[in-house]
Amino acid sequence: MILVNYLAAGALFCIGLYTVLTRRNLIKMIMGLSLMESSTYLLLISMAYRKRSTAPVLLNPPNGLTPTQLAHGDVADPVLQNFCLTAIVIGVAVTAVFLTVAVRLSQHHRTLDSDRIRDLRG
Amino acid sequence: MTASPGQPAAEAVRAERHEQEPTHRPVIGLVIVIGFAAVLALAFVHLPREQAPLPAAARYATQIAIPKWGTTEPVNEVVYGSRGFDTFGETYLLLAAVVCVTMLSRPKEPRLGFIGEEAAGQKEQSEDDPSSGGGHADAREAEAAETDDDQRTDVITRRPTPDWQPLGQFGPERSRAMTVIVRVAARLATPILAVGGVYLAAWGYSPGGGFPAGAVIAGVALLVYAAFGYDKVARIVRPGVIEPIELAGALAIITCEALGLVLKGSFSANWIPLAPLETIRAGGILQVFSGSELVEVGTGLVLVIFAILGMGHDWTPDEADDQ
Repeated sequence: MILVNYLAAGALFCIGLYTVLTRRNLIKMIMGLSLMESSTYLLLISMAYRKRSTAPVLLNPPNGLTPTQLAHGDVADPVLQNFCLTAIVIGVAVTAVFLTVAVRLSQHHRTLDSDRIRDLRG
Repeated sequence: MTASPGQPAAEAVRAERHEQEPTHRPVIGLVIVIGFAAVLALAFVHLPREQAPLPAAARYATQIAIPKWGTTEPVNEVVYGSRGFDTFGETYLLLAAVVCVTMLSRPKEPRLGFIGEEAAGQKEQSEDDPSSGGGHADAREAEAAETDDDQRTDVITRRPTPDWQPLGQFGPERSRAMTVIVRVAARLATPILAVGGVYLAAWGYSPGGGFPAGAVIAGVALLVYAAFGYDKVARIVRPGVIEPIELAGALAIITCEALGLVLKGSFSANWIPLAPLETIRAGGILQVFSGSELVEVGTGLVLVIFAILGMGHDWTPDEADDQ
């Protein structure tokens, strides 16, 4: 039942979205964004899964198959695994940018409360 | 909710923990999230399930991995081959993020020693814009700061500003080494992790190659920093060393991809003769790209993490000190 994975990814995304929309602490908002990112990883990996398939590695194929035979058979989706892989690295980098901005904002405004940081308002 | 003086400290802490956290329009947020969840649920019900056939792009990637790229790892073929141009762009997105973090986290001036910019410029600032809040006291301080080095120290003594902190202190805050148990464990784990990280990229049988390998190498640097303190990594982990290495990795990726355009007429095309399967040279340019990505990701993550760790310099004086 891969649908359970999909719904879990959706639930994680919604929890992250709710955190971003309703929390005023910048660190918690960044944690919400990270949760949303993580939900996409779960969704991509779940979408790549195929029942009774092997990992997309054509090395030492099972049941006496050759790698070429395995390539035409059932393996998990390598394109979606690739998306997940690069998304993780980019997610780390983007989270680092968010955290850096949060640290500078907290140093400048002496608070992490987004409602009290109003210099850009109006 | 506050604890009375007679209450034990533990109860006071527990009472503080349940303090209401300020939120921002929770009802509107809940309505938006419920609406979004309904849209997601509808979309997810129609997503392909585990019995669905592989998409054409995935079948194509698995079928060309061996004949065209000489690799038994289709994920690597997609990352560095079929979608090489996309990975190229993502790599420079990572580089852009590193540049952003480096810019935002840098100290005010890359010079060592106190030079008093904050006080020195206020005289001109108040002349140019009297409403800027410079004030006469600040102007006098500016004059004092400009006349004599000793008086600058007096300014500091009387009113601490961010300039009080020594400038040009790149790199993380100083940390102390951890206990002998942690240090011994780190000594054992570090070489294994480092070799394992390089192996992930070098042998090319791991999905992603340089991406996870770079993350492992960054983790090794963090482990050494946490276990032994900053002094042990200070000679290597500093922007003057890491940034050129990272840019060399970026240059290697550009060169590798551009040579495909020059030699084979297509950006990201394979221009290296294919080696036998399951050897260290198998995969053509996949291995070169993966190795360069190892350098790029590893150094990029190290720069980002240590830049954030080293953000000790404050830019704005505390309002309480201004009064």
